[in-house]
Amino acid sequence: MFVHDAGAVIEMFKNSFPYSLIYFIPLLVIIAPTNPVSAAQEFAVYRMQHFDLQNTVYGSRGALVNVEARSIDARMLTRRCVLAKLAEVTAEKIRDMLTQNAAGIMIILPAKLWEMGKEDQDHLLNLEKELMSEEISMPIYFTTTTEEIEKIYNDVKVAVNSDQSPSAAEAIIKSASANGYQIVINGANVRAMNDYQLTNIHAKLTGNGVEEQLPTIALVAHYDSTGIAPGLAKGADSNASGVIALLEIARLFSKLYSSSRTHAKLNIVFLLSSAGKFSYQGTKRWIEEQLESGENTLLQDVSVVLCIDSIGKGNAINMHVSKPPKEFSSAHAILNLLESVSAENGIQATMIHKKINLANEFLAWEHERFSIRRIPAVTLSAYETHKGSLRQSILDTRENVDVSVLSRNIRILAEVLGRYAYGLTPKNNTEIIRDSLKVDEELVSSWLSVLTNESRAAQILHHKHHLVHSLYYTLNKYLKDAKKTYIKADKRDPEFIFYDGHEYVVNIYSIKPAVFDLFLAVAIAGYLGALYLFLAVKFQHRIQDNAPYITKH
Amino acid sequence: MTFFHFINCVAVSYVPYVLIYRTSGLQEYSVFWKCVQAGAAYLFTQLCKMLVLATFFPVYDSSSSFDFVGELMKCTIDIADLVGLHLVMTKLVAKGQMKFLVAGLGWAGAELLVTRFIPLWVGARGVEFDWKYMQMSFESNINLIHNVIVATLVWLYSRYYLHKALLPLVVGFLFLSVYRPIVIQILIQCFSLGSWSLLLSKALFTLSIGLITLEIYLTQSTESNSYH
Repeated sequence: MFVHDAGAVIEMFKNSFPYSLIYFIPLLVIIAPTNPVSAAQEFAVYRMQHFDLQNTVYGSRGALVNVEARSIDARMLTRRCVLAKLAEVTAEKIRDMLTQNAAGIMIILPAKLWEMGKEDQDHLLNLEKELMSEEISMPIYFTTTTEEIEKIYNDVKVAVNSDQSPSAAEAIIKSASANGYQIVINGANVRAMNDYQLTNIHAKLTGNGVEEQLPTIALVAHYDSTGIAPGLAKGADSNASGVIALLEIARLFSKLYSSSRTHAKLNIVFLLSSAGKFSYQGTKRWIEEQLESGENTLLQDVSVVLCIDSIGKGNAINMHVSKPPKEFSSAHAILNLLESVSAENGIQATMIHKKINLANEFLAWEHERFSIRRIPAVTLSAYETHKGSLRQSILDTRENVDVSVLSRNIRILAEVLGRYAYGLTPKNNTEIIRDSLKVDEELVSSWLSVLTNESRAAQILHHKHHLVHSLYYTLNKYLKDAKKTYIKADKRDPEFIFYDGHEYVVNIYSIKPAVFDLFLAVAIAGYLGALYLFLAVKFQHRIQDNAPYITKH
Repeated sequence: MTFFHFINCVAVSYVPYVLIYRTSGLQEYSVFWKCVQAGAAYLFTQLCKMLVLATFFPVYDSSSSFDFVGELMKCTIDIADLVGLHLVMTKLVAKGQMKFLVAGLGWAGAELLVTRFIPLWVGARGVEFDWKYMQMSFESNINLIHNVIVATLVWLYSRYYLHKALLPLVVGFLFLSVYRPIVIQILIQCFSLGSWSLLLSKALFTLSIGLITLEIYLTQSTESNSYH
């Protein structure tokens, strides 16, 4: 009967097919309420580091996730994504997840990293170090906590505890009523950025006299940052502080050199190098370029290279060397000046000697790149050792740097350089950086804000990035002939390969387990059955009751 | 959720229509075609309503406050539904006492098809689970009862033998059913009802009107069986 009726409708469509379409389709489109809003939560998440250096793979290779969320205490993590707070995550746990073949982990960081206690900070530093020490196939994401994430996290935590119910029936009921969450990170899979270009920015301040016959001193600071997640690496102390020091010294000396009375007999080369966190790849290539370019090189007759790294806090300036400087060498003179100027400012300056460890893929300090090529070089840093510091951590935020300390340290460095340029000895303590030549604390502070406002990871600062441009612009403003040189990894034997996908958007959907659908289906069958019985009885009654009702006309 | 969930929702929203069609005896009269025609009339009425709404009622900024007058005007346009139903019963469905059932079922069926199927298809199959699709399905059951009641009321209203005392009641109910969206809005505003309690109150509202209407209909239909 029903089929027969349906046949009539089909017949109608057949007879007037195009016209009926004109009638029905627009109506369907107009009347149907659009956009059934999806209640999914969206968050920005930052993927863990992922790069190749000298053919060794570092970091996490995975990116895409589309599985259910679990708390880190859950027993079964196979094909599940763990949602955990930073304090719960340990390297062992992650190793355990890898053996269980988990689909990924999302680590929730506190909103204000710098307000964490000392213990938590150490925990994060350790975790960063341990995770970076091996290659991980599983995607690892970091996100900062919000109210919504907190709620989801708590729900996931509760759902796990219901797994440990006393009876099986209770467990089934609990699992059917529990709220699950599906974590979905979609998008293009991670690709190697083969044509990625890094940018070195350099400029020269020429001394008074015949340029080629004057001694040269070089100031170097790398401008990139690093951390467990490139997207979160602000790198305030390392090395925004060094970059600011370099820019500020460039500003002060461009003023000094603009007047013939104060034009010193010293060439100063400024270099802002890239990829410093990748074993100083930018510096390495810059040295190679300069040495290969023959006669007219910036590195010709360079008496000493001063690398600046992390001078934004603490009460000391350390001079790191690979070889103790000989007496009467420029490095030695700089050290003497540094000691006396620091003493005038009430802080300590010491020389720290560390041999270059060529077995390690990552060089400890930037000056080692120069020392390898037998160019006298030192690194000036507030840190005493390259190990265990915040230099490679996402903890290195703006709050990690004290603007007044940074300004003071810049003044000391500028003073040392000034006294060196005018040939003053430590005994002759004439102050050079004073009056109109003061370090501008406001400028330092605003530069710090600009540089730490967003991530400066080398993978993100491509050659067209606005920060790269503004650094170049500023250096050019002070020193006139700033140049950018671009670096690409070698096609056949790349020293470094970066991968894209630093920031993803995660969608978290609330879902119900499959058992729930089954329960629902049973309930619906019951409802419809009851309805059928009710209708059948009701109408049967009416039909018998009301004779004319069934009389066909 | 899964396709299974979508099937669940579709079962809740569509099966009652089939059940009514099969158990009420409509099947024996082969009025399926009439139901489809009633549905087509529904679509046409909606089109006319939309034209009027788009022409005479400017869209106000969807600000947070509840625009009572605007809503009232919009509901007034819904009187066109009553006219449409009346025309269906007088012009399309020629004979039989069950014309209000045919008209109501066809009307509600068309509404179900055009306003529920696509949201269910898109929403209930999506990854996100939400009770609202289940609620939407149950609401379509309520709408079925509502439409049958409205058809009955319209039919009763056009009876010349309708008892004079009952006329205000019938007209009142017609008004209530036309302004149902407003009543619901006020309920939400005043009692800040949750989605489940709102659904329940809709069901109670519809059922109570339905029972009274059924009572009126039974008393009237015993007096006369013809429709002129």
